[in-house]
Amino acid sequence: MRIRAFTIFFLLFLAVSSYGQEIDLPTDPLNGRIVFEEKKCIGCHAIGGYGGTAGPDLSREQYFGSVLELASIIWNHTPQMNRKFRQLRMDRPKLTENEMLDLLGFLYYLRYLGEPGSVANGKRLLDSKGCITCHSVAGQGGKVGPDFKTIQRYSAPLYMVQAMWNHGPAMQEQIKKGKTKYPILTGQDMVDVAAYLRQVSSADVEVRMSVGNPKKGRVLFEQKSCSNCHVGEGKRKRIESGLIKIDLKKGVTEVASAMWNHGQAMLQYMQQASIHWPRFQGNEMADIIAYIYFLGFEDHEGSDRRGGRVFGEKGCNSCHVKGGEGKGPDLASLKKLDSPVRMIQLMWNHAGDMEDLLITQNKRWPELSPEEMRDLYAYLRKMSKE
Amino acid sequence: MEIKRRDFLKLFGSLSGAVVLGEYALDEVMELPEGIIELAKNGPGVETWQNTICGLCPAGCGMRIRLIDGIPVYVKGNPIYPINKGGLCPLGLNALHSLYHPDRLKRPMRKNQSAGTSGWEDVSWDEALKTVSDKLVELRNTGKPHHVAFLGHEENGLMKRLIERFMQAYGSPNYYQCSSAQNNVVPYALLHGHTTMPTYDILNARLIVSFGSNFLEEGYSPIYYTKLYSHHEEQRTRYVQIESRLSLTAANADQWVPILPGTYGALALGLAYVLIREELYDKEFVQQRMVGFEDRVDRSGTRHVGFKNMVLGNYYPEKVEELTGVPSSVILQLGREIGNTRPSLVIGDHGAIDNTNGTYSAMAVHSLNALLGNFEKEGGIFFVDEPPFGGFKSVPLDATARKGRSQDPIGLSKGNAFPLTRFSIESFTKNVLSGTPYPIDVLFVLGGNPLFSALNQKEFSQALQKIPLVVSFDNMLNETSEHAHVILPHDHFMESWGEVSNVTSVGFTHVGMQHPVISRVYDTRHTGDVLIDLAKRIGGQVSRAFPLKNYEEELKRALNGVYNSGTGAIVTEGVGTHWIQFLRQRGWQIGQYASFDEFWDRLIKQGGWWNPIRKTKRWGQVFRTRSQKFELSSQALREGLDKLVVKTGKTNSAQDREFVLSQLNISARGDTVFLPHHEPVPYEVDMPLHLITFRVLSVRDGQGAALPMMQEMFGHSVRRYWQSWAEINPKTAELQHVRDGDWILVQSDAGNLKVKAKVSEGIMPNVIAIPFGLGHTSLGRYAKGHGVNPNSIMKNLYDMLSGKPATQATKVRISVAT
Repeated sequence: MRIRAFTIFFLLFLAVSSYGQEIDLPTDPLNGRIVFEEKKCIGCHAIGGYGGTAGPDLSREQYFGSVLELASIIWNHTPQMNRKFRQLRMDRPKLTENEMLDLLGFLYYLRYLGEPGSVANGKRLLDSKGCITCHSVAGQGGKVGPDFKTIQRYSAPLYMVQAMWNHGPAMQEQIKKGKTKYPILTGQDMVDVAAYLRQVSSADVEVRMSVGNPKKGRVLFEQKSCSNCHVGEGKRKRIESGLIKIDLKKGVTEVASAMWNHGQAMLQYMQQASIHWPRFQGNEMADIIAYIYFLGFEDHEGSDRRGGRVFGEKGCNSCHVKGGEGKGPDLASLKKLDSPVRMIQLMWNHAGDMEDLLITQNKRWPELSPEEMRDLYAYLRKMSKE
Repeated sequence: MEIKRRDFLKLFGSLSGAVVLGEYALDEVMELPEGIIELAKNGPGVETWQNTICGLCPAGCGMRIRLIDGIPVYVKGNPIYPINKGGLCPLGLNALHSLYHPDRLKRPMRKNQSAGTSGWEDVSWDEALKTVSDKLVELRNTGKPHHVAFLGHEENGLMKRLIERFMQAYGSPNYYQCSSAQNNVVPYALLHGHTTMPTYDILNARLIVSFGSNFLEEGYSPIYYTKLYSHHEEQRTRYVQIESRLSLTAANADQWVPILPGTYGALALGLAYVLIREELYDKEFVQQRMVGFEDRVDRSGTRHVGFKNMVLGNYYPEKVEELTGVPSSVILQLGREIGNTRPSLVIGDHGAIDNTNGTYSAMAVHSLNALLGNFEKEGGIFFVDEPPFGGFKSVPLDATARKGRSQDPIGLSKGNAFPLTRFSIESFTKNVLSGTPYPIDVLFVLGGNPLFSALNQKEFSQALQKIPLVVSFDNMLNETSEHAHVILPHDHFMESWGEVSNVTSVGFTHVGMQHPVISRVYDTRHTGDVLIDLAKRIGGQVSRAFPLKNYEEELKRALNGVYNSGTGAIVTEGVGTHWIQFLRQRGWQIGQYASFDEFWDRLIKQGGWWNPIRKTKRWGQVFRTRSQKFELSSQALREGLDKLVVKTGKTNSAQDREFVLSQLNISARGDTVFLPHHEPVPYEVDMPLHLITFRVLSVRDGQGAALPMMQEMFGHSVRRYWQSWAEINPKTAELQHVRDGDWILVQSDAGNLKVKAKVSEGIMPNVIAIPFGLGHTSLGRYAKGHGVNPNSIMKNLYDMLSGKPATQATKVRISVAT
């Protein structure tokens, strides 16, 4: 059991290939939200039901992915978007590289933020998961743990998870004594339980958390000794769904639940290895999870060889001719392309003119799959270096 | 020294072509210390921008200041501040003139008749504070702390809290705001038990019917309303403005309904008639959340008439037309429109309530919202949550303070007037003059200019002269501070720490931050710091009530509560309510701050904090009346009048009540007394014209007149610069043989004044309107001697219940001046 749990978490970080980090991680979704509102994206796109209806609600699952996956989605719907701009008599907004990074970071953050929980389901779970064996609600239930009516009102589900995590060893001891089952919870379970406890608590003030900062999380990952067992900074690995069972699309609590569910095995291992149980305070758990969550933000490396083919097959080379004799600039003459975000920004900003040109030439819009995006970036990066 | 318009224009012409700060010859417009001039001439020219909150009026607009080498040189609206979203009124745009005004007081002053022609001598802060604190200590030592009174103006939030705490710890029950803040809430307190003004969800309403509320110009925060109004242009919300004069708001409305002054309540009840008669009211709300709609029979078997039958019997359109001058067809059309448009919102203010029947009129107007079920719902009425400030523990009162606080307030009427308020400027004045129930030995005056705006100017002036020590915090001499004995000049808002929170009627919780953008230009101080210093000088329990070094510390303590609450957000570019709501539903707070210091730095940098998400309220919190319902038949009013009967030593019989009602000039009898109804205003029968006043955005309560550009803009819409005018309908003008531009003599029973006529269709026949704000006898070189003050000829009348000055209750006659 110990080995299996450890292996899962090991795999979580020891996933496939890595390459040098080129993207400065976002630190706060607020920055991207500002771009989202100031550039009037909100006029057409809603987030969680708030915003325009001309375009799709971007909090839907299909609009989730790494930088270049998101770029692929945005790029492929350029013609529809341009038609909408013309219909609404809006100018197509131009974005700086930082704005593009903030915007992509914001869209990526959305799943991290999670969804509101179900109070009714939370109540059911409290019974079915055995919480009420030790804890009570308004005096009804066990006497070992505190009455949920007297605890702080956790607005953020993660705050509840953090509290659970911190008293994990004591709780596991109690579970052993009482011969009860260690409660396995999915991310949604945690959200629902938190929603119920929030309603039950009689505290006046709600305790909220700030959205996690992956950069701070990266530092904490080292400080809390997570990197002793899991692969840490320097050998940063990417989470691959399929190898591990964390579905990042389901938000922060999904990562939290993976942590919680392997808590029992982890404790045993740590006791044997004489490692202290890491405790979190303030916003620390949100930050660490943000770090883990953002491991999926950056793409794995594409193939410059395949990218060259994409450049030709999609017709980029018909305008971007070597020597600058085409209608577009010679991409080799561009300054060094050192970030996929820079590529996306350049593509976004010239998409309006490019579409006009393609229409006049009776050519189709060149759609790019995420893989093609990665390959194209690898190719352009290499070309600009040359 | 007085400056004429011609002089100013000459100066201004040279100003535009000159290096502004370096021109010594421009002392008439701006006066700067040598150090600033030198820096402006020879500094490296480094540009920075800082955010603060405009302090020239209480509207709380965010301001962005451009500084060159640390010297403010330009201001504009802060685009990320949610109240004004980058907008700023003309007064705000001229904030630099007030900072560099040549007539600013430069240091504390004390009156000394032997000090030369001015009668003032400069003193050090220590000396000035000693003069005041010695007197305060003496009064406390002799058991008379209640002999101290504090007249504030429109301060809110933490400054108000600090003054309250000072007066509590010191032991006086006499802290009042002469801006009528206490009086304005009376009708709402009667109907739904709140002692704060309601907020109207103008943003989401589809029809807005305003009774006299000139909110685009005279509202609590005109730029906030202007921004909402521009939003409505897009969503095609309809505005109907009911007002005697075509104000700025009326001019921008879809429909202007002219009405005779003093009859707004009658029209509101006429509209209620249509709603009831056509069954357009919210029956569920009326049935479940309202008291007094239907007739009822009490335990003794007596039948009490309810609002419905009172309205149906007395306020049918033809009857209301007779009272108001509004055609019955318009009443029918408007009533139907209100009932058939949802959400439709009804607002009442200014002209509708500044009269002797103001409380009843406001109740009548507000009853329309109740009939529409307009509470705690989109496009309706709600109450904004207080900011989650951190605070002090309650003030520990010593025996002297407890005794002083138990005395009757000096602002409370000793007679039968104004039974629903503890302050009216009229009661205050009378009590000070008569020395009952005790004399006032020290009066603090902060902000406003009560002597200029009062209707009892002569008596108030006498009252000021009777007080041995009047302490003013004004930073420019005005009509009121001319009567002071000591002046402790307040900093300019760009020089000091401060906060402006929850501006009345703004639809979200907010805290705007002021901080020193520039070092003090002169030897002035923040009044908060002065009060803390005085408390320390007084010593004992008073000093212990202020465990603070200065006011900045108080701000930090309070904002720590906001930080710890995790609610709301520091104002940020482009982020609106939706994002905050989205995060809140998921338990996140918007900011990422590792510490309070980080939060504080960001707060100061951005200019403020806001929380557009309101707490969900139970009906018991929405209606804080005893019945926890909207009381059309007001129990609080019944109790207030009963107390008055007892106060007069009567036995509460029908005759005793009759006596009290006649004392209050209330003509209604029976159950109608406690219901919203129309009370006739006691106008003079021999005077042909109603006199009304209004405020202009550039001058507001008169303080703006100190700035030359505001004088220049004062009458820009009618081309009357630096002077007052009287608007007259062409029919009235013809009858009175007056032509546009004629000088006319306006005479009332209280006095007369001379003003130029402006003949205009934008005012009802038989009404003349004179703007308020000019006619100063003090307030610096630009204000003095320009225009007239219409309040100086108004009869000394007040709202019979709330004690609010009745500025629409005077009638006049006019003639062409020779």
